[in-house]
Amino acid sequence: MADAAELEALVGTKTQSATVVIERAPLAFFAEAVFDDSQVYQDATVAEAEGFGAIPAPPTFPFVMDNWGRFPDIQGERVKKGPEGLSALGSVFSGGGLILHGEQSFSYERPVKVGDTLKGEGTVVEAYAKESKGKTMTFIVMETQWRDATTGDLVVTSRMNIINRV
Amino acid sequence: MTTGLKKSDLAIGMSAPELRHVLTRTDLVRYAGASGDYNPMHHDEVKATQAGQPSVFGHGMLSMGFLATAITTFVGIGNIVDYSVRFVSQTWPGEELVTKISVTGVRDEGDTHLVDLDVRLTNADGQEKVVGSASALVMA
Repeated sequence: MADAAELEALVGTKTQSATVVIERAPLAFFAEAVFDDSQVYQDATVAEAEGFGAIPAPPTFPFVMDNWGRFPDIQGERVKKGPEGLSALGSVFSGGGLILHGEQSFSYERPVKVGDTLKGEGTVVEAYAKESKGKTMTFIVMETQWRDATTGDLVVTSRMNIINRV
Repeated sequence: MTTGLKKSDLAIGMSAPELRHVLTRTDLVRYAGASGDYNPMHHDEVKATQAGQPSVFGHGMLSMGFLATAITTFVGIGNIVDYSVRFVSQTWPGEELVTKISVTGVRDEGDTHLVDLDVRLTNADGQEKVVGSASALVMA
């Protein structure tokens, strides 16, 4: 468990860097897994008829896309394993206890779509602890900005709030 | 963008059609594969019960994903600009999950028209699973 100074020092820590290519099959499979039967995700002709130049991704796909298409040959630098680079946090959660995904948000500049190559850079944006009912609650907020790898334009920002209760 | 909502058709308090789904263990296995989240609490009944859970339980991100399906069904695919949730409680196999989406605002940002939504996933008894908000582009 980290003290206040250690938590403060975590802010700005880089949690991950990953380059991913968005492919059709994982996206179509993901849509089925979130019970979305829209043919936009399955049939390129339907996507085109709906005005999409390429099949778009379901809204929460950015959370999982580095499990797909993160091939070694397109990585420029170090790659962190784990959901949004949780392992980069080191000893913060070493006190045991429950680790919970408390909140999640996405801000989209445009939909992610098949054929994109996106580069994600993650950082810790908040880290603090609170006492509650004799337990210590540690809050870590991580943000990953996914940019078009070619143009550098921001596509989607993912924010994850992790809570550790000891 | 799939055909979206029209600003003139929207009013505060309006509700989107509910989506309902009875969660199964197979759903959890499919989401594990689709997401790469192989935490055994979501697919391994033996490990989940050894850890003191009554059974395996659903991924929080599956709840958020199903709620997103209801949002895009309402506002049109490709139109969401912000989507944010808080995870309130676990989901369990056998539970019927219900999406509840209502309009909280209709606004303009320059030439852009937006709808703001209160978004919730509950079970059939109304117990909240995830609670949040979303904003999406709408047509004039």
